Amino acid sequence: MASSKIVGAVLVAGGGVAGMQAALDLANAGYYVYLVEKSLAIGGRMSQLDKTFPTNDCSMCIISPKLVEVGRHINIELLTLTDILSVTGSEGDFTVAVRKNPRFIDMSKCIACGECTKKCPRKVGNEYNELLDNRKAIYVQYAQAVPLKYGIDPKECLKLTKGKCGSCQKVCPADAVNYDDKPQDVTFKVGSVILAPGFAPFKPSDFETYRYSDAKDVITALEFERYLGATGPTMGQVVRPSDGHHPTKMAFLQCVGSRDVNRADNGYCSSVCCMYAIKEALIAKEHAGGKLDVTIFFMDVRTFGKDFERYYEKAKAAGIKFVRSRVHTVKPEPKAGVKISYVTDGGAVGEEFFDLAVLSHGLVITPETKALSESLGVKCDGYNFAQTTTFAPVALSRPGFYACGVYTGPKDIPTSVMEASAAAAAASSKLAPARSTLTKVINFPAPVDVTGEPPRVGIFVCRCGINIASVIDVEKVVEFAKTLPFVEYAAVTMFACSQDSQEKLVSLIKEHRLNRIVVSACSPRTHEPLFQETLAAAGLNKYLYEMANIRNHDSWVHANNPAEATRKAMDMTEMAVAKAALLVPLKENVIDVDPTALVIGGGVAGLNVALTLSDQGFKSVVVEKADKLGGNANRIKTTAKGEDVGKYLEALKAKIEADPNVSVALGAEVGQVEGYVGNFVTTLTTGETVKHGVTVIATGAKEHKPEDYLYGRHPNVVTQLELDELLKAGDRKVEAAKTFVFVQCVGSREPGRLYCSKVCCTHTVHAAVELKKSKPDARIFVLYRDIRTYGQKEDLYKEARGLGVIFIRYDLDSKPQFAAAGDGLSVKVHDPVSGRHLLINPDLAVLAAAIVSCRETELGMKFKVPLDEDGWFFEAHQKLRPVDFATDGMFLAGIAHYPKPMDEVVAQAQAAAARAVTVLTQPRMTVGGIVAEINQSKCSGCGVCVAVCPFSAISLDDKGKSVVNEAMCKGCGNCASSCRSDAPSLRGFTNAGLFAQIASAL
Amino acid sequence: MPALEDVAKKIRESAKRLLAEGRAEVVVGYRRGTIPLTTAPFFARTAEECDQLVWSNFARINLANYLPGRKKVALVAKGCDARSAVGQVVENQIPRDELYVIGVPCTGMVDNALVAAKEPRPIREVVETTDDSFTLKGEGYSVEVRKEEVLRRNCRTCAHRTPKLADELAAPEVPGATPDDFADIKALASKTPAERLAHFKDLIKDCLRCYACRNACPLCYCPICFVDETRPQWLGKSNDPMDTLTFHLLRGLHCSGRCTSCGACETVCPVNIKVREFNRILELTVQKEWQYEPGLSWDQKPPLTMFQTDDAAEFIK
Amino acid sequence: MSDFEPKIVAFFCNWCTYGAADLAGVSRLEYPPNFRVVRLPCTGRLNPKFIMEAFKRGADGVWVSGCHPGDCHYIAGNYHARRKFILLHQLLESIGVEPDRLRFSWISSAEANKFQAIARDVVEHVKACGPNLAFRKEELKLGLAEVA
Repeated sequence: MASSKIVGAVLVAGGGVAGMQAALDLANAGYYVYLVEKSLAIGGRMSQLDKTFPTNDCSMCIISPKLVEVGRHINIELLTLTDILSVTGSEGDFTVAVRKNPRFIDMSKCIACGECTKKCPRKVGNEYNELLDNRKAIYVQYAQAVPLKYGIDPKECLKLTKGKCGSCQKVCPADAVNYDDKPQDVTFKVGSVILAPGFAPFKPSDFETYRYSDAKDVITALEFERYLGATGPTMGQVVRPSDGHHPTKMAFLQCVGSRDVNRADNGYCSSVCCMYAIKEALIAKEHAGGKLDVTIFFMDVRTFGKDFERYYEKAKAAGIKFVRSRVHTVKPEPKAGVKISYVTDGGAVGEEFFDLAVLSHGLVITPETKALSESLGVKCDGYNFAQTTTFAPVALSRPGFYACGVYTGPKDIPTSVMEASAAAAAASSKLAPARSTLTKVINFPAPVDVTGEPPRVGIFVCRCGINIASVIDVEKVVEFAKTLPFVEYAAVTMFACSQDSQEKLVSLIKEHRLNRIVVSACSPRTHEPLFQETLAAAGLNKYLYEMANIRNHDSWVHANNPAEATRKAMDMTEMAVAKAALLVPLKENVIDVDPTALVIGGGVAGLNVALTLSDQGFKSVVVEKADKLGGNANRIKTTAKGEDVGKYLEALKAKIEADPNVSVALGAEVGQVEGYVGNFVTTLTTGETVKHGVTVIATGAKEHKPEDYLYGRHPNVVTQLELDELLKAGDRKVEAAKTFVFVQCVGSREPGRLYCSKVCCTHTVHAAVELKKSKPDARIFVLYRDIRTYGQKEDLYKEARGLGVIFIRYDLDSKPQFAAAGDGLSVKVHDPVSGRHLLINPDLAVLAAAIVSCRETELGMKFKVPLDEDGWFFEAHQKLRPVDFATDGMFLAGIAHYPKPMDEVVAQAQAAAARAVTVLTQPRMTVGGIVAEINQSKCSGCGVCVAVCPFSAISLDDKGKSVVNEAMCKGCGNCASSCRSDAPSLRGFTNAGLFAQIASAL
Repeated sequence: MPALEDVAKKIRESAKRLLAEGRAEVVVGYRRGTIPLTTAPFFARTAEECDQLVWSNFARINLANYLPGRKKVALVAKGCDARSAVGQVVENQIPRDELYVIGVPCTGMVDNALVAAKEPRPIREVVETTDDSFTLKGEGYSVEVRKEEVLRRNCRTCAHRTPKLADELAAPEVPGATPDDFADIKALASKTPAERLAHFKDLIKDCLRCYACRNACPLCYCPICFVDETRPQWLGKSNDPMDTLTFHLLRGLHCSGRCTSCGACETVCPVNIKVREFNRILELTVQKEWQYEPGLSWDQKPPLTMFQTDDAAEFIK
Repeated sequence: MSDFEPKIVAFFCNWCTYGAADLAGVSRLEYPPNFRVVRLPCTGRLNPKFIMEAFKRGADGVWVSGCHPGDCHYIAGNYHARRKFILLHQLLESIGVEPDRLRFSWISSAEANKFQAIARDVVEHVKACGPNLAFRKEELKLGLAEVA
């Protein structure tokens, strides 16, 4: 690839949570992003979810700040309703052709008032609510959609299909409807491509067993999710569809369309269904106030992620019943409900009535996505998931193409988000020379200094077409506003947010020397940044701005009480003026960023972080406690996909050695740490001092030393890693062995270590398959609790059974009994299928020992990052910030976070690097704005603010007084409300300003 | 029944030793008051000055109030005072290694209002030799008073009479009293809001807003108290009843999870307001919700500096 | 008392309840116009003083609402806030503030219906309490007059 032709832009296909994250990471790292989305709006499947496991976070609440960030990002070009036609060229220099399908709405004019939808006569099934209710032919995908612009469904619109109607055009106050809109083909250049097209939920329509097509009270889990959702068809009421009654007894049927090659051709496990079923069960029980019995019919409970096992336990404690059985018959009852027949693994036959049956359907690749893969030349597996390798987990078969999310295999949100960051790193790995060549920067005039000037407030009261003015007497509000102190100018505007109004605002600010602006219009959540930009363009500090939300909080909700609505608008405007008058210009400062990373841990995770950063031209110092690199991977033979780990590690180490950007400190640990994001100074135990802008913790974990099963007391009992070492060495012990027993969950999933170690089932099944292949006569028994070969790893499990590996389930209260029998071993285990005790005399017993954390409390304290109760490092947000710490400039990767297989380790390492690049790429970082400050003359140094700051942004200085690090403060104001002497103050939300608002409210 | 003089002797010995060893540069203790039924805070810096240190049934003031910002100080502390001192270490007001606590296991201090009620005649002199009784002398009379009859309210329910975290004790340990059952606070629940309000308005009707309670309180070390704030001036300076009530409410909140029930505030109140009632409402909540009592360990986290993800708050729907 | 229209001060966090109120607007969910909203970044910013200030200035009711526990945009702001609320709620109720005058809720940004329901409920209950005569200051300069 000729470096002169490298294009500093990336195509991201798919606007779900993965695509959005990849777009943000790239745009924040200096690459221009084309984010292509097929539908009207970004948000993807996550926007449909009510809550997210295992924290039960409100899905919309956590995704919507991200939606807004993407929608407003100057370096993300959002192409909605767009299809990819072709991608030609090669890595570094691709040409992308896309078709922008018509929206029939002028996005620059639409104010999303919804008048059109009110008048539209055409009702259509609402996809957002899984067709459980209706939308109109002109619609927004969901209320919080980004872009918040309406669109016309051309297949349903009466005007477009029959030439009749046209009422939306008539009622649109902004003249935004354009029935003549046409498809538009455009091309643009990018250096690489990230595919994140996502999935569709499996449609169980063809499954006669489950009667989804004809039984009303059999619904899918996503439908149920919408019933649970506050914005769903029943506004959060759980109902039985047949008659609208609240169910008192419901069932979840797991693995519908997953782990099933007989009826669905989907041999894989969909990875998320066990958890979402538990979540939906818990939330439904909560909604029902306890008056709901829930049974989950399952094959294996696969709660393998961080905090998942506790969630499972919580569900059991909440009374949710788990029945290990694949349901064979679902029969609708005459009036309502269904009868479910099943056989348990002990052979007992059961038949039970349920009000409602929810099918936990799996994740599938759509035919459209399959076609896209084919047309783009991306190789896929038999299930149409795009193929990747363990060591390049986000790289696709076509060079320059990368992927994230469910496109490469079923996975949950955090894993998708992690992969998204990883894909951003991988996709930009060859584009570094073109970084910041295509990104835009807005330059505002230097702000006028208004300090010392008395407030001169300008007020703009928006009519919002008729949205505000039809209810509120806006003229009266203006007249009232003119009587308020400090007000120099007040006027009505038609659409405050329109381009011409913005331009007028700039000239009025100059003409009247206005130094505080109040806009009485809509929500600051959506419009504040726009107006702040206008202030900046007029040379006014953007923080001298306040909004009164007289639309969403007033005219829209008090439509039949215009007099009170007008009075409320006057009060709200007064409150805004009161606060605005006390606003002061806020400074944003810049701090230098040291473009170096400190990577703690020289295992697969740490080394991949360093190499990924090096691709972007950043230096790293890798600190490794041991005297050699590689960590736990040194002990592993092959990956589950059969790749040779030893060879990989050798190549990795060689690359590190040859890389001028990476230096390694062996036998070293972190000593003293000072500083913060951008400017850390860390002294190592070797005496070396490292100046760095970011820190990545990749300290790994270790294999548990079992106390049970004669481990350490009998030579023929080994752990999984020890088996790998024996295999690598070609040891006779394995060579000679004929009977093998593998014991799963040794030290995992039990009191004191209530988590699943995630990798062991796959490791065991892989080892069993390899052993069986090399010695077909070997007898192999796997004693397990639940087999957790999630995703496409399920194929290995199937293969193992096919090869004759015998799987015997045991319960926590009847663990296998080991005894020494002469030189050999005897293992007694209860088989729940036959109901009998089995006696096995293995030549070798392999224990799937838990992965346990190193509990790096001290390291955590040095860098102000927390650990959870199992000793894993605790990320900033379990769903959406899986590799960040809450403390800025701190990232994590690898199994120091939680046990995970190597492909996920590599992805997480690349992700951590991508996140780190967003900091390192800016030579100077802007900090400040709405942050806390301390009036030290009021500070007693008691430390309350230090303790309550969620971001470790406050510390005590050498005089024992608090001081805020602006680079780390996020502006929550916890400090300001916790201090007894009001020493901290949150800029933009000062006590004085808030008191003034309270006073004006009354 | 240790003689007060024995305790005082022990205090003086320790004080002298600490000064001589350089472990302390000042010993904060009590000396005889200038009027009967009182003691006064005393700062002994030399061996001679140490001889003025006393122990008394009237050592009511919480001397931890004098700790913030000091260096190399030894503190004569009752159970409650010692807990306050621990709180101040936890709240960074004094480094642990600058503080030496001479703990005095305490059987409670005298409430002068109760004494006055018992003996209305002018009192010229008090003679006290032990910690269970004392003799009042006046014009033509001499009366012995048993201390347990005139104990302060907070002392009657003090569960931590022996300073557990003292560096040394100047007297043998004493058992704690039966803890506060908060019966009166709990009884508020059965009253109507109007009755409750009437009760509290009546409670503070005499308040002069002199802030003696605040000044005597070892928790009130803020450089600028909220009552003195001017920008914004939040609390009126006059004694508008609502402002007065607000003062007590906010002071109560500020002391919550930190108050050791030393009673200094009530002792110094010139109009005998039971100001601790506000604190006790919150003390009960803190104990009930978070099983927390302040001043009992060096590394405890005060309840308002932390949280549990499952803190119960049924009233938030 | 039937024509008494209470004045209520509401403190909402920006990310959840303020968002729910926005969504209630988008969904045109009507509720009584009796409260005025002070937008805070987080319930963690809510100094107990603000609530007392509102009552002192004659608010007939105060409504505080933020993100559900665990949903905080600032990780732990509402957890810290909850501890303050527990104390403040106990204190104010103990000294005679009618329980219905002071309301706390958790409303996520998706719960527009819950927002509407609680908004109605708050207004109704404060109405039943009648005007705040007990906790208001006698003399007040109101509104901007004081700032000026």
